[in-house]
Amino acid sequence: MEGTDAAVVARVLAGDRDAYRVLVERHSRGIYSVIYRMTGNPEDTEEILQETFLRAYNSLGKFELRSSFSTWLYRIAVNRTLDFLNAKKMTDTYQISESPDAEENPREIQLPSQAPGQDRLLLSAEIKDKVAAALKRLTAAERVAFTLRHVEGKSIEEICQALDLKTDAAKNTIFRAVQKLRQQLAPLVGAAQ
Amino acid sequence: MKHLTEQQIVLHYYGDALDTVQVDAHLAACAECKEKFDQLKGVLALVEPPLVPDLHESFEQRTWLRLQDKLPLRPKARFTFTWFPRWALATAIAVLMIGSFVAGRFWPRQPAQPQEAASNPQRVVLVAVGDHLERSQMLLVEIMNAGAGTGTTFSQEQKQARELLDANRLYRVSAQKTGDPEVAQMLDSLERVLAEVANSPSDMVSQDLPVVQRQIQSQDLLFKIRVLGTKVRQEEKPAARNSQNQRQL
Repeated sequence: MEGTDAAVVARVLAGDRDAYRVLVERHSRGIYSVIYRMTGNPEDTEEILQETFLRAYNSLGKFELRSSFSTWLYRIAVNRTLDFLNAKKMTDTYQISESPDAEENPREIQLPSQAPGQDRLLLSAEIKDKVAAALKRLTAAERVAFTLRHVEGKSIEEICQALDLKTDAAKNTIFRAVQKLRQQLAPLVGAAQ
Repeated sequence: MKHLTEQQIVLHYYGDALDTVQVDAHLAACAECKEKFDQLKGVLALVEPPLVPDLHESFEQRTWLRLQDKLPLRPKARFTFTWFPRWALATAIAVLMIGSFVAGRFWPRQPAQPQEAASNPQRVVLVAVGDHLERSQMLLVEIMNAGAGTGTTFSQEQKQARELLDANRLYRVSAQKTGDPEVAQMLDSLERVLAEVANSPSDMVSQDLPVVQRQIQSQDLLFKIRVLGTKVRQEEKPAARNSQNQRQL
């Protein structure tokens, strides 16, 4: 039997490095999903996943055996993703305008004819692209906090714990993200319905 | 009638408003706020979670294989100071270093031992300053990415800047004492920006934010911090290897 997470952590700390495999195999799929929902990119997600498990291994001495390993790992993954997005944002700052039309004139949406089918699918794809572009324009902290609240359904308290923020700061960050999305996406609401 | 603020509407959407009953009652009575609330619902309904790609059934094994070679033989056993305030830790390190420096000046000189030659006060400063640089970098990135005119305050960031400012002063003095001008100069530049952020009025976003952003940019401060951070990490590795070798002997 492989035992509980805490038992496996104790084995790793005692020098059984290969026991860490159990934890990787147990949690990698779930953590991958969490990271992917924040980055939306498979390559970035793979990279952050590796960093998360590496960081967790190196910090295993700090892990409290009484607490939940998955929660602890989740926090590391969220913070690694935040760091990654921050670093990426710095290099991408001047390259983001991949859809310059939307930036210059967000209200200019090509409405399709009423006919269902191809037009509808095109519109749906266009909306998805614009949503993805709007999410990219958020700061790393806004994107991560918003994803945790809106997509992962985490409470403000859980977000505060994961990102080491005060309640007001977490609420403010989510609010800023929503305001930016609202500015970008409000013109699409009618078209989507 | 006093309308709901944008923030109240957003908080209410997520069920985070403190006065839910009052907000509900207001929405039932005010068409203008109800329209705003419905528009928000429409916008947020567009933001669907991205579909996670189907992962291969051997995904877990592959993840382990990629990771395996990167893992050191044992996790780092590190004494944590989580119960210890950071400023106190910084003070303790600075006092120890200055104390050691002063003691070294007055202590009778012994013939140099081979291992003593390896110890380097500059390295001690670098290692101690690593965590500080990482936190400062995070703060500066937040400030650089913030947009002016969003109507929110930066009180949290300012509090962080005040904490970092205290630690920064101690590290800068230590670096000057141990004769590391590169680190001292970088910390001096950082200190000016941190002071600017910490001492700005609470509505920094609309007034002083662009000034601070220009200051960070014009000095290439983020780049310098990153370079120094890399240097610190490189310095940490040989130090860790040396101590491991000594333990094995």
